Amino acid sequence: MRVPLKWKIYKTAGKYLPFLKIRPPEVDRNSAMTLRPARNSLLTWEEKESGKTILTVPVQEKKGRVARSMAKWMQVPAERYVELDEVGGFVWEICDGKHTVEQIVQLTSKEYKMNRREAEVSVTMFLQMLHERKYIGFYKRTANKSRKG
Amino acid sequence: MAKSAESHESVALKENPVQEETAKPTVVGWQGVRCVLPPDWNVTGFSMERESGYIRVDAPADSTLTVQIRWTDAGAPEVKTPYYVLAPKVRKLLRRPEPVQAKIDLKANLDKFLKEIAKQSKKSKETLEASSKPEREEGEDGKRHSINFNWTGNGKGQGKIWHCEVCNRVLVAQVVGMGKDQSAIPNVASRLFSSLEDHAQEGYELWALYDLQVEIPEGFRLESQKLMSGYLRLVFLRGAERIIVDRWGLANITLKKFSLADWFANHAEVNLKRLQKAENTTESGHETICYTGKLSLFAQLQAIRQAKFSLRGVPAQFEGGVWHCAESNKIYAIQIWRQTRAEKLWDEVLRRCVCH
Repeated sequence: MRVPLKWKIYKTAGKYLPFLKIRPPEVDRNSAMTLRPARNSLLTWEEKESGKTILTVPVQEKKGRVARSMAKWMQVPAERYVELDEVGGFVWEICDGKHTVEQIVQLTSKEYKMNRREAEVSVTMFLQMLHERKYIGFYKRTANKSRKG
Repeated sequence: MAKSAESHESVALKENPVQEETAKPTVVGWQGVRCVLPPDWNVTGFSMERESGYIRVDAPADSTLTVQIRWTDAGAPEVKTPYYVLAPKVRKLLRRPEPVQAKIDLKANLDKFLKEIAKQSKKSKETLEASSKPEREEGEDGKRHSINFNWTGNGKGQGKIWHCEVCNRVLVAQVVGMGKDQSAIPNVASRLFSSLEDHAQEGYELWALYDLQVEIPEGFRLESQKLMSGYLRLVFLRGAERIIVDRWGLANITLKKFSLADWFANHAEVNLKRLQKAENTTESGHETICYTGKLSLFAQLQAIRQAKFSLRGVPAQFEGGVWHCAESNKIYAIQIWRQTRAEKLWDEVLRRCVCH
């Protein structure tokens, strides 16, 4: 997904010049629930018999010769493993870019017989955490514009 | 087996899944106030105070409908003086009747309430238009005086204010909605007002939120609460007597790792090893693991300390139980510290706890 220039400015200027109070526009609850989380394609995962899901996250190669040689000397692994519990694994499975956050909440609530509100709080917090770690991204489906002529 | 993003089978779902028509209505109970609302409504705000407090219940998903209920004790003065605390006790001791209170001016209370809404509307540059119906008597034996009201400003609201002679509370309940949701207000309001109660029924107060429904004897007061996603705990006190109600979600996952007895032993407030274990069945047919026994002196002293050194009703007996409700995928536990003479307390609370 292409990030608009305005958002890039928000991210850079807002981060390094916090006193300017430049922030990306706040997303209201209703539009947040229509976003579609999709997994980072660099990640692979494996479901264990115990019900847990193990994510394999590739570690970014260090920039610079010194950092690279240090990493080699310290034997920094090329990938990290993240363990998700059964509910986390279930949510991870359906973060396919096809389901909206609302649908994921409903499916989780139905699968584990959770109260709708409880499921919403848990799922949104979990998705937020995955997003912060860049394991997932959020898509917004926009209507296709048909060309004339 | 490693999977890639492409190999995942998607779950077929409608864009906006329609709510099941057979869903159970939401029962809400807090501090003596109880009502029934449409399915999937949830408590989003409440106060811990009993004398004057509020509760807010929101509609699910993207609906802007909310139910707000506020109550105040009509007999309580604004400033709590020592006279206010001691006078009723002295009157009770001397067997003197309670003084006759002046009639509550509901209209003045309503005007005060509408003034607050007008302030909020003014902030969003809207003018408040309110109308009310004349005061009328309702309820059993006409012990409730009420006024219905409507307002339009920053949204729309339909409500009712009443004074109940039984519990001496002034209660304001309203359904508020914005935009397209305004059309649903009358339906919700009629459902709310037909089911709304403001005091205990048959000596028991209903505490109901997030799929937990339990009736607790009237004298117990809510001491503390924990409302977390997947875990609820309500702690009630009456003197040094105590009732703790726990509810855990995702029982199927928990019970893969622990047995029900082990889970309860890990979370119970007392050491269960010395207590007598028995199996029982709840009203809804779930097998309950129960523990009964005398409290040690240390446990009794601990109960007194937790009750802020109240020596009233020092508990001598502990009763606790846990059960798994497969229908709602939840684990429920009740623990009771009671006086020896309150023999029926455990059975009554267990019987009045609805899990599904």
